[in-house]
Amino acid sequence: MVALAFVVAAAYAVPPAQVSAQSSSALSIAPKKNYVIEPGKSVEDKLVIRNADSNKQLDLTLRVVDFTYTDNGGTPKLFFDPDAPQTTWSLKPFMTIPETVTIPAGGTKSLDMKVTIPKGHGAGSYYSAIVYSSGGGSGNAGGDRSGSVGLSASGVTLVFTQIPGKVSENLTLKKFGAYQNNQNDGAESGYMNFTMKEPFNMAYTLKNNGNVTEAPVGNITLKSMFGQEYTINDVNPTGSLALIGQTRTYTTCIKLKEQDEGTRSSSNSTKTCVSPGLWPGLYTAKLDLFYGQNGNTTQELQGSTWFWYLPWWFILLVVVVLALIAFGIWRITNKVKTARGRRVRLNKSGRK
Amino acid sequence: MHHRLLRLHTLVFTGRGLWTEELIALLLVVLVFVSPTSAVIRFANRSLLMTSTVPSATTSYTISFQYTSPVAVGSVDLLFCEDPIPYLPCVPPPGLSVLNATLGTQTGETGFAIDPATHTSNHMTLTRTSATVPITSSMSSYRFDGVVNPADPTKAFAIRMRSHESLDASGPQIDVGSVRGQVTNSIYLETQVPPMLIFCLAQQVEENCTGTDDTYFKDMGELNSTSTVTAQSQMAVGTNASAGFVITANGDPPSAGTTTIDGMTTPTASRPGTNQFGINLVANTSPAIGENPQGPFTNAVPSAGYGVADQYKYVSGDTVAYSPNVSLMRKFTVSYVLNASPSLKPGVYSTTITFVASGRF
Repeated sequence: MVALAFVVAAAYAVPPAQVSAQSSSALSIAPKKNYVIEPGKSVEDKLVIRNADSNKQLDLTLRVVDFTYTDNGGTPKLFFDPDAPQTTWSLKPFMTIPETVTIPAGGTKSLDMKVTIPKGHGAGSYYSAIVYSSGGGSGNAGGDRSGSVGLSASGVTLVFTQIPGKVSENLTLKKFGAYQNNQNDGAESGYMNFTMKEPFNMAYTLKNNGNVTEAPVGNITLKSMFGQEYTINDVNPTGSLALIGQTRTYTTCIKLKEQDEGTRSSSNSTKTCVSPGLWPGLYTAKLDLFYGQNGNTTQELQGSTWFWYLPWWFILLVVVVLALIAFGIWRITNKVKTARGRRVRLNKSGRK
Repeated sequence: MHHRLLRLHTLVFTGRGLWTEELIALLLVVLVFVSPTSAVIRFANRSLLMTSTVPSATTSYTISFQYTSPVAVGSVDLLFCEDPIPYLPCVPPPGLSVLNATLGTQTGETGFAIDPATHTSNHMTLTRTSATVPITSSMSSYRFDGVVNPADPTKAFAIRMRSHESLDASGPQIDVGSVRGQVTNSIYLETQVPPMLIFCLAQQVEENCTGTDDTYFKDMGELNSTSTVTAQSQMAVGTNASAGFVITANGDPPSAGTTTIDGMTTPTASRPGTNQFGINLVANTSPAIGENPQGPFTNAVPSAGYGVADQYKYVSGDTVAYSPNVSLMRKFTVSYVLNASPSLKPGVYSTTITFVASGRF
């Protein structure tokens, strides 16, 4: 009885604000899965999930949701609403995954997943996402006019499947040019034809009107009015996709600094754009893009553009030089006029 | 008429000094060097069918295209490179080998064989006994067996093609063009670290996600019209995926019954006495709350709208932080502000915000 009273008293003594969930919210998952599956066949794979928290077990619920693009970048827009209409590219009907999993503290579990494409299914790209949700925090806030915030964490694996065959592929080039990437400064990014700041990026915007996701490859050649030439050999180094219906902007560094992160995967490096050392002046650029699924026509897109890079010091220099030239001309003209006037005066006085 | 001709003759021969043979020759040279860029003719309807797209698998490639120039063709040059652009240096795709490739079925323009003299691991020349004019209206295809696929599924490769009238792919080219291919595989070799995304969330977290304070709820306190109530949470995230990550914030703004304190839809300063709910991911002075992102991977940043001090915003589904490429670990501190007008109905205004971390595509 005393013990019970102690437990009840202890329960009341705990402040209501500090309510903890029973599960950890620290997970490690695969961010993306890619499959090529012929109609009538299936792929069996493993979802490896690790509980990064070394003290608490991780309880997760899993479900498949559809997604599309958010903007002209690579951010998925996930349809969490269970009543959301199924997309035409949904992989949901073909995927089988477990509904729940519990992973001990610091442990790892491999879950079976399967994607089955029915016989006679049409070719194209199909994609959905697996959402892993940990339990959300909740509690009772004190006071009759108060506020509270609960937290919940979810991880997502994007699953892409290509069904081979004849597909409709149609990318159109919407824009191409020098690009000011201000995302890290929180400012607007955009294309430009005149700039006082040295451009670090070139970009191109593509509209995908086909029924497959596309990852174009190709090059950009940049030439200055003084003959300097810069070649960007891989304009889509991360294999970024233009989803069905998406207008996607691909940005690429004119000069790249690659920093290896010490992992053994070939793609694990942080890439940052560094100053390409452009001289002031007029630049022209040419874009050559290729795309096409296996067994389909390889298609080409070409574009050209120009931009002026005129830094403030260069404009100042030009103004000073022009002023000096103007001053020189004025001085010479004045001298000539003075000399001519003197000669005229001398001639007149001589005649007298 | 006669006098007009005489006048023209006089005019031409008056400027005779300007119309030198050298000047005319220079003009011709300029014309010759300028014109070829528009003279390139491409193979039409080019495609590559890889029977297997598994990295390093030995498989068959079927290359199809349409000859477009009505000029006799004696050879077709096939060069396997990472890059499709013909004038750039050719880097052979790692792992690819056509050294043991044999020419199988051919349709359309036929009679070709692989020239052993130029056959290397990334180069083949198709040659035939005599150059003939292709049937330009039909497709031609060539199936090569015994091709070893490239090993890297993260990179596309190309086959640069050229047709020549000569039998050994020398001399002027007639049609040119490239086809694109890529191996795909969802199973990673054990020698490589597979892409992964690590994410944790709580009121306080370790930068590497190995520990949290296991607190997922915060009572922000009594709402009043003279001061701002605040809360703080942390999340750490990292990925070795080349496309980076993105975190979105999802959930309705705080509500009590049918009354909701709306989120600020544009970055706005905190104003006590007005109904406001917002978050940001940087250190603030008004009110003094939050921290700037921590960790060495500075390419992981708060999104526009959530990264300016003393400016708060909340729109459900918005991206609040992202990295455009690899960013191993970075810790973000989320600051929450809640303001109430004097006329706000009494009640407990609560919300649950779900932070969703995903890879980018």
